[in-house]
Amino acid sequence: MTTRPEFLERVQREMARAVGLAPVAASPRPADPAGVAAAVRAAARGRVEELFARFRTEAEEVGAVVHRAATETEAGEVVWRLAAERGIRRVVTWSRRGLGWVAAVAARLGDGGLEVAEGAPEEAAGPGREPLRGILAAADLGLTGADLAIAETGSLVLASGAGKGRAVSLLPPIHVAVFGPEALVPGLEEAALVLEAWHASGPRGANVVVVTGPSRTADIELTLTRGVHGPKEVHAVFVASPAAG
Amino acid sequence: MVGAEPAAPLAVRAREALGDRLLQEALSTATTRFVAARRTALGSLPDSERYRDRARRIKEATLQRLDQYLELLAENLERAGGVVHWARDAAEAREVVVGLARARGVRLVVKSKSMATEEIHLNEALEAAGIGAVETDLGEYIIQLAHERPSHIIVPAIHKTRAQIAALFSAEVGSVVPPDPELLTAVARRELREKFLRAEMGVSGVNFAVAETGTLVLVTNEGNGRLVTTLPRIHVAVMGIDKVVPTLADVVVLLQLLPRSATGQKLTTYTNFITGPRRAGEADGPDELHLVILDNGRAAQLGGPLRDALSCVRCGACLNVCPVYREIGGHAYGHTYPGPIGILLTAMLEGTPAVRDLAHASSLCGACLDACPVRIDIPRMLVGLRASLARERVAPWPERALFAAFGRLLRVPALFRAAGRAARLLQRPLLRAGGRPRRLPLFFRGWTAHRDLPVVARRSFTERWGRGELG
Repeated sequence: MTTRPEFLERVQREMARAVGLAPVAASPRPADPAGVAAAVRAAARGRVEELFARFRTEAEEVGAVVHRAATETEAGEVVWRLAAERGIRRVVTWSRRGLGWVAAVAARLGDGGLEVAEGAPEEAAGPGREPLRGILAAADLGLTGADLAIAETGSLVLASGAGKGRAVSLLPPIHVAVFGPEALVPGLEEAALVLEAWHASGPRGANVVVVTGPSRTADIELTLTRGVHGPKEVHAVFVASPAAG
Repeated sequence: MVGAEPAAPLAVRAREALGDRLLQEALSTATTRFVAARRTALGSLPDSERYRDRARRIKEATLQRLDQYLELLAENLERAGGVVHWARDAAEAREVVVGLARARGVRLVVKSKSMATEEIHLNEALEAAGIGAVETDLGEYIIQLAHERPSHIIVPAIHKTRAQIAALFSAEVGSVVPPDPELLTAVARRELREKFLRAEMGVSGVNFAVAETGTLVLVTNEGNGRLVTTLPRIHVAVMGIDKVVPTLADVVVLLQLLPRSATGQKLTTYTNFITGPRRAGEADGPDELHLVILDNGRAAQLGGPLRDALSCVRCGACLNVCPVYREIGGHAYGHTYPGPIGILLTAMLEGTPAVRDLAHASSLCGACLDACPVRIDIPRMLVGLRASLARERVAPWPERALFAAFGRLLRVPALFRAAGRAARLLQRPLLRAGGRPRRLPLFFRGWTAHRDLPVVARRSFTERWGRGELG
């Protein structure tokens, strides 16, 4: 098997054969990622209504359903109603800590008589990997927060971590993500700056996913079909002024 | 098996494709739709030309320090808890993946669409080792059931009708599935979901690997890319050395272009950023992450004539606009990578002699260069390939003799003029009433089988110029 030094030495040897190249440099990284990310978020806070309007247009264009609620209590009603309309019984969520103020929405679903299970419990307390999988695979709806919402593409950004399991937004046929004004950023470029800050701030989850609409395929005669592997329905619930936010 | 020559020569494969009415319809619908979608999507990106320039610079900047970026990627990925493997060629890459699967007692591997694993023929190797390998992208799943190969980089089963797919699925599940895309998709979801939950290993490709953070970026619309990298205990990603990019900011530029150029989307449904295996406290995600970095003929082009093809992001835009691809489809090319860029990649991975015929499967119209989001000058490299094939004398001798004679003729003005006069006389018996030439006789017949022969003008340009008719 080839070793790293052997491999790289061959790359270097071949690179040396390239002559007459005009030198080019890569895009720079932010020197102070946390500061840059804070500035991005501060700038976005001044344009919440404009950003949400764009988010709504773009998300709807890719087939997501966008809801707006004044508070997390109202959001709880919105989600409970959409669950009831679809005859949903089993719900999986991020852990209480993972959800933060969105836990109020999960509580409302439980109070409304739905089976609510944590699909991403804190490691020590939760069931093992296999039972967890059974819970996730059987659930009708996955409830999560969203770390960012990208206006120009209508995307939800979910960073994994303790209590913020990846499968909650992936296995159930319906995914509901609840987020507040602090999550909104204008574009992909700004989202990447926040990603840099997360990376610089040390260990957290190993996965960040940018979700743009429901799962889709056009592999059979180019006919657009939803929900082939991921959720068939994606609901983005915007809470304008979370009381506990 | 690996790098095997296609069974029939290009001309035969192309003729078959041209005679396949269903394929012709599918190709024409698909390519026309993709071209329109791409145009609309790029129109929605303010200053898309500037993005293309930036994308090009990013790829070039990476190639100029490729050794450093590969090393940085490896260090950062290992710091995040991943393991990096270096594979000189397809055989080494297969050995790594099969070895990992064997050592861990893996019985079932789920895969998300990856051209790199197609290139190294990984599925056959896994199966030979008694390990099941299931393609989970719907298109790939269909062609795996049909025991075929992808015919398009983005929509691999573009050549299959719903009726054919329904027959395949019915045989697989043992009951009749109606030819309805919605129902067929639901069957695939059910069948594959069970496999996702059972598989011990997930194998994926990589769209971009960020050197500065050690992050693997994977885009999929179906979500199978997420399942493959989330559910199994082990995730193995396979990438060519050309997939590394320096920073997350660079990835953003490329992400503005890749989905728009591929399917006409602003962003693919799932853009997944993976930095190592699952961390302490995480409930899911793989326990092990392995990255196989593959050379397989790429490094040799860093200072070679096909260097620019190393900037390819595998969007498939050049396939959809190519007048040759649009007629013959992906299978006729006979190798892993079809289309204009596919010819160059085949030459890169399998050597110039492998494209002895394919190098000519282009009209050099330049549509591919226009469509390429990173402005790869495909036509220029194709001409270069043809020249090197001529030098290496792999073209058949009559062709070489004919072109050598033609070359001499072009170099001597008196000879060229005389030849023009002779052609004017000789074409007479071939002209039909309307003045268009008939088919050429004898062994020149092939030339006019599918195209018209232009008429030699009554008076040449130089003659008219000499008489002052053009002043």
